[in-house]
Amino acid sequence: MELVDKVLRGDEGSAARLISMIEEGRDEGYEAISLLFPYTGKAHVIGVTGAPGAGKSTIVDKLAISFGRQGGKVGIIAVDPTSAKGSGAFLGDRLRMRNAEKLEGVFIRSMAHRGFPGGIAKATLGAAYVLEGLGKDVILIESVGSGQTEIQISMICDSVVTVLTPDYGDEIQLMKAGLLEIGDIVVMNKTDRPGAVEAAKDIEFYLMSHKKQHWQIPVLTVEAIQGKGVEDLIAALKLHRTYTVENSQGSSKKKENIKRLVLAIFKEEFWGETLKKIQDKAMFDDIFQQLQNSTIDPYKAVRMVMDLALPTE
Amino acid sequence: MAVARYIKDEKDQILDVILESGIHVKSSYSPKDLDAMGFSYEKDVADPGEYPYTRGIHALGYRSRAWTTRQYTGFGTPQETNERFKLMISHGQTGLNVAFDLPTQMGYDSDDSMSEGEVGRVGMAVDTLRDFEIAFKDIRLDKIGSGLTINAVASIMLAMYQAVAEKYGYDPKVISATPQNDILKEMVGRGAWIFPVEPAVKLIGDTIEYSMNVLPRTNPVSVCGYHIRESGATPAQEIACAILIANAYIDNVLARGHDVDAFVGRFSFNLNVFGNMWEQVAKFRAARKLWARNLKEKYNVKKPQNLFLRGLFGGGGYGLTKAQPENNIMRGAYYALVAALSGAQTTALCSYDEAYTIPTPHSALLSLRTLQLLMDEMGLRDTVDPLAGSYFIETLTKEMEQKIEEEMDKINKFGGIIEGVAKGYIQRLVARQAFEVEKGLESGELKKVGVNIYKEGESMEVELHEYNWESAEKQIESLHAVKRERSEKDVTRTLKELEAATRDGKNVMPYLVACCKAYASVGEMTGIFREIFGEFNEPSLF
Amino acid sequence: MENKKNMKVLIAKPGLDGHDRGAKVVAQALKEAGMEVVYSGLHRTIDQIVNIAVQEDVNVIGLSIMTGAHIPITQKLFQKIKEKGIGDKIVFVGGVIPSRDVPKLKELGVVGVFPGGTPLAETIQFLQSISKKG
Repeated sequence: MELVDKVLRGDEGSAARLISMIEEGRDEGYEAISLLFPYTGKAHVIGVTGAPGAGKSTIVDKLAISFGRQGGKVGIIAVDPTSAKGSGAFLGDRLRMRNAEKLEGVFIRSMAHRGFPGGIAKATLGAAYVLEGLGKDVILIESVGSGQTEIQISMICDSVVTVLTPDYGDEIQLMKAGLLEIGDIVVMNKTDRPGAVEAAKDIEFYLMSHKKQHWQIPVLTVEAIQGKGVEDLIAALKLHRTYTVENSQGSSKKKENIKRLVLAIFKEEFWGETLKKIQDKAMFDDIFQQLQNSTIDPYKAVRMVMDLALPTE
Repeated sequence: MAVARYIKDEKDQILDVILESGIHVKSSYSPKDLDAMGFSYEKDVADPGEYPYTRGIHALGYRSRAWTTRQYTGFGTPQETNERFKLMISHGQTGLNVAFDLPTQMGYDSDDSMSEGEVGRVGMAVDTLRDFEIAFKDIRLDKIGSGLTINAVASIMLAMYQAVAEKYGYDPKVISATPQNDILKEMVGRGAWIFPVEPAVKLIGDTIEYSMNVLPRTNPVSVCGYHIRESGATPAQEIACAILIANAYIDNVLARGHDVDAFVGRFSFNLNVFGNMWEQVAKFRAARKLWARNLKEKYNVKKPQNLFLRGLFGGGGYGLTKAQPENNIMRGAYYALVAALSGAQTTALCSYDEAYTIPTPHSALLSLRTLQLLMDEMGLRDTVDPLAGSYFIETLTKEMEQKIEEEMDKINKFGGIIEGVAKGYIQRLVARQAFEVEKGLESGELKKVGVNIYKEGESMEVELHEYNWESAEKQIESLHAVKRERSEKDVTRTLKELEAATRDGKNVMPYLVACCKAYASVGEMTGIFREIFGEFNEPSLF
Repeated sequence: MENKKNMKVLIAKPGLDGHDRGAKVVAQALKEAGMEVVYSGLHRTIDQIVNIAVQEDVNVIGLSIMTGAHIPITQKLFQKIKEKGIGDKIVFVGGVIPSRDVPKLKELGVVGVFPGGTPLAETIQFLQSISKKG
């Protein structure tokens, strides 16, 4: 396939086009991914997640610059939320990565999550493959950052950095359990703020007492805007990378993750396809008419839609 | 609330009026409204010239002195600017207001690749002292003050103004410059920023500190609620931001150990006049009061004259329309009336053709005449603060005061104005409101004559001055000629000293003056700042 | 969630001018109309703008120009677009644009010109009609 060859030869325009094809769910896009797949798996895919305003973009910007200086070829995928009403999205992360953007060879792609759950878009994994095909060996993925636990990002990344700030006192308490589930490294950003060191210690203590695996999640303090602590973060990422490759627990986690992601995408695709098939049927409208007239209850309606979608033979 | 609303019944009778700032207007007012607000003449208003200066900062108002008129001038080459200066002065204009081209505003020399196509386009190109020598030739710098519409590199332009004055034999103590020098508002509204917030504010602190002793008649900073309003802020937000921004500059200078009374009296404001006229009058009256109270209570300012909100009330750019542009002449007249009723010390109007072209000498003159005839024909000099005592205006002024305080609280809760600008909180707020206004105009909820009502009639064609590649070339040649003639030794030395001073965190002003006198270029001086300070990280929209 | 093409637009501010009220209003309007919007931020060079357009694979590039430099800027843009082989991008221009310059801009390859004061609905409709064609 010509497009794939071009991507492998480093053509940015073709890579960008291919990512769009995956976003649009086009068959040729998926075929291209199949062809690219054998060339992937070596890049270090790093997820950066955390609440809005935690400083994710700034950290991605700084990481990209540091990796770049060390000779890494960096690709960035920044995921922003699609509006709850409609399909519009404002893809604004890129603007906060202007320093990285200026670096030769850094490829930044923004994408709207288009309703996909878990902090990423359905096409994010595909985009990571494309960027690796393009020759990137470090791929940074910035999640939507809803403030919720963004499980899906851990399914496509080798290492996940969770960014917290002391501003989110109560939320941090709620997020602790989630950290164990998705985070490999915790970053306490904005350490110039009061309470930052205490908050970091508190999380560290929690993580130590809830250790579930061989990898002990480190808690790093960073002042991203000043660039303080970024080198430590890179060192921790490299250490984690080694762990995932060399430790059997680390690599089996990755295999388990990819299975979960396939099921997640399957769920979304299946839902989309199924809805397409049944929504034009007369019966479909009829069910909702009955529901509105209160002649059936909501559970009954669900069972009827199920029958419509998956008729028993 | 960012959009003014009129709630009407089906017979077009107005049931409620909600001003942009969110204040409800009643069908009529009486002494009861004042009582309900706990209104006290002495405390809330007082006589003109008395604290809290709601009615004005001078007891005699325009009786002692009419306002200063300061139409925006300056375009193309320094030579053309000089001619326009002289023309406006011969027409009776009492102050200059210099516009600079974008490369100068952004600290690039005319021969920089970033400047291509922009040299002399929206204002005067300034590369070296040579350009100021030409622009200010034969202007009495001891008699006439100059507004310098420059921000990111205002420190450089102020230094250059001192250098040109000294060159022409004036004592720096007698010259009066008013550089705009308000970088925080650039970050919110006009976009001519270069450096990050912290060093940018530090440079402003340098100009204020330096002016105290060396340029005592200079107003080193002109805080511009104006552009924040143009970007979508409500009148209440305009004043809230202006006061908080001024405070940020005060704090910077106070941290250097100076007495607030030694500098704060030279602060001035640049505020906007478009919008509902009652709301604007109330806004200006409330602003004077809040500024005085802010200085007295928060900063313990002692000298009464340092509590004055002095400023330019004018402009009104966003209020003007491209459609039916002659209407802008009438709008301008009403804006001028608002400024006069509000006791503006200095004023200027956007010219009626500004929505579609760079103002012609004719339109600039019309604006000047509009201002002059208010003072000399219509009796606006007769008595001070003529609207005082109106049940409506006094109630509205007090309500406006409360709204402004609410807006200040909101910004402070977010972490203050510096944080709010650095993180983009203010930018997002005004951008969202600008969008609301646009939607209001499209839905017809907001009315604009010639735009969405009474649309019959001609719309004017946008006319732009042909870009003069030739004079741009000439400007570049002149820069190169200066560079050939100047002493490289002096330039290198003064620039080196500037660099060291900048790195050491010293006040850069004396070093800039030395650079200017050695004919170092704006780009060379800014280059040093760029290298050391870096650039502002523009916050994202959402 | 369904698979579909969604219009992706880059709103860009080329050059030194910092007046971004209009650009930001349009960006918000396009988002509300269901498009995915990338905003370039201020003081961008044409090289940077085209680079963003390539990496983001936008369908449309909208330039906001207020200084009167719209002709040389647009010329430069199309030159760069050609170099990068992204001639399929639709380009529209907004800002302070005299109508006598509209034919010149269209000649250069600009598809839509929306001077300040154009109703938002008109710009949106224009982009939507293009996406249907595409």
